[in-house]
Amino acid sequence: MRTYIGLVWAIARKDLLVEFRTLERLIAMGAFVVLIGILFNFSIDTTVVRPQDIAAGLIWMTIIFGGMLGMGRTFSLEEQDGALTGILQSPIPLDALYLGKVLGNFVLLSVMVALVFLVFGMFFGLTFAGSLVSLVGVVASGVLGFVALTTLFSAMATRSSMGEGLLPVLIFPLLVPVIVYGTTATNRLFAGRPFAEVDGNLRMLAAFAIGSTVVCAWLFRFVIEE
Amino acid sequence: MSEKQIRLAIGVLGALGVAIVIVLHWMVFFWVPTEATMGIVQRIFYIHVPAWWIAFLGFGIVALCSAAYLWLGDERLDRAAVAGAEAGMIFTTIGLLTGPLWGRVAWGTWWEWEPRLTLALILWFIYLGYFIVRRTAVNPEQGKRFAAVVGVIGVLDIPLIHVSVTWLRSLHPEAVILNPDGLAMDLDASMGATISVGLLAFSLVFASLFLARYTVAGYEHELNLRDAAPGGIQRAEA
Repeated sequence: MRTYIGLVWAIARKDLLVEFRTLERLIAMGAFVVLIGILFNFSIDTTVVRPQDIAAGLIWMTIIFGGMLGMGRTFSLEEQDGALTGILQSPIPLDALYLGKVLGNFVLLSVMVALVFLVFGMFFGLTFAGSLVSLVGVVASGVLGFVALTTLFSAMATRSSMGEGLLPVLIFPLLVPVIVYGTTATNRLFAGRPFAEVDGNLRMLAAFAIGSTVVCAWLFRFVIEE
Repeated sequence: MSEKQIRLAIGVLGALGVAIVIVLHWMVFFWVPTEATMGIVQRIFYIHVPAWWIAFLGFGIVALCSAAYLWLGDERLDRAAVAGAEAGMIFTTIGLLTGPLWGRVAWGTWWEWEPRLTLALILWFIYLGYFIVRRTAVNPEQGKRFAAVVGVIGVLDIPLIHVSVTWLRSLHPEAVILNPDGLAMDLDASMGATISVGLLAFSLVFASLFLARYTVAGYEHELNLRDAAPGGIQRAEA
């Protein structure tokens, strides 16, 4: 078990090390988040609607679109220089490879999500300090579900003639539960509602995240093998 | 079965199915009594409900055959999965088109973002993804595996449709014929007969389409093998 976790961590560590040295995906995602925050700000007529009322939906859409930018390139670097063949020839179990990729992506996306909340908090005047723990639970569960699916499908997209353009077609339909439960819970937490009102949403998000991770870890071998 | 017998079976099932579809329409418009609460618009249920049942049958086949294909790697399972997906997609489209026709009269709107409707539409798009990954994969064998993966994940969406009905407040009428209490026994006999005829008609059409697509998928596989063989047919670049 310890060896297995070590293998998962080795893959995640490698991905994070490459990313934090090159900052390729983080810069793309970070710039996207700030710029989309600016554009969203100009797209709202504040005499008609209060920005706080629609901030949760905008935040989740930003997480999905921004995340797609980074997650879509999960395997592209390794595919380009043939490094993936090397990893596949190593004795690492394929599900450990997948979980390592998910862990790496989850950490990267968490950094982006922190930036999303910072930027949108400033631009839209949001206050969520009182419900920070619940918010972290909701967002972390939603992001894990998103990352679990996107990591699997990005391996598929890398080997498709459509490339990353394939991702939205495959991912968006599957993400409806994340958006429904995530946005509702975030909206309620922004409105200062008690935890009891988002408890159910959180459970559904957690179930979705765990279910997606387990199913995708099993299916990954069929996607990655030549 | 020989090729001739298969063609005969496809023709007979298809012709019989279409004939019963015509009978079904006669029953819907002229024979079955008008339902007391919903009025004349309820007649669309005799098309809508069997279409969804067959759509779910198709997607059940996709899920089972996709999972079995990934497990066993038998080419015939992939053919059955793609045949189920294409035929299922047709009936899903019928379900999605007939639902709003009823909704326009009953709810006063063509579309309502109600959970069961939403997830039914989502299901349609998941299977659109099924066909796209199949066609765009660089390697056709990988494309079959990718599609099977999408098929397995896609069918996991179906329980979400049902969970969402109880989770969120739903506008969609609750299941009448097959409900959690079992099979409804108090359904009017003529209504029950009409819906049974609808189910029979669509089952026969589905069987014919399924068999035809399964056979074509077999030809496609043979052609791919010939192409891949040394000295095989070289296709002209488009």
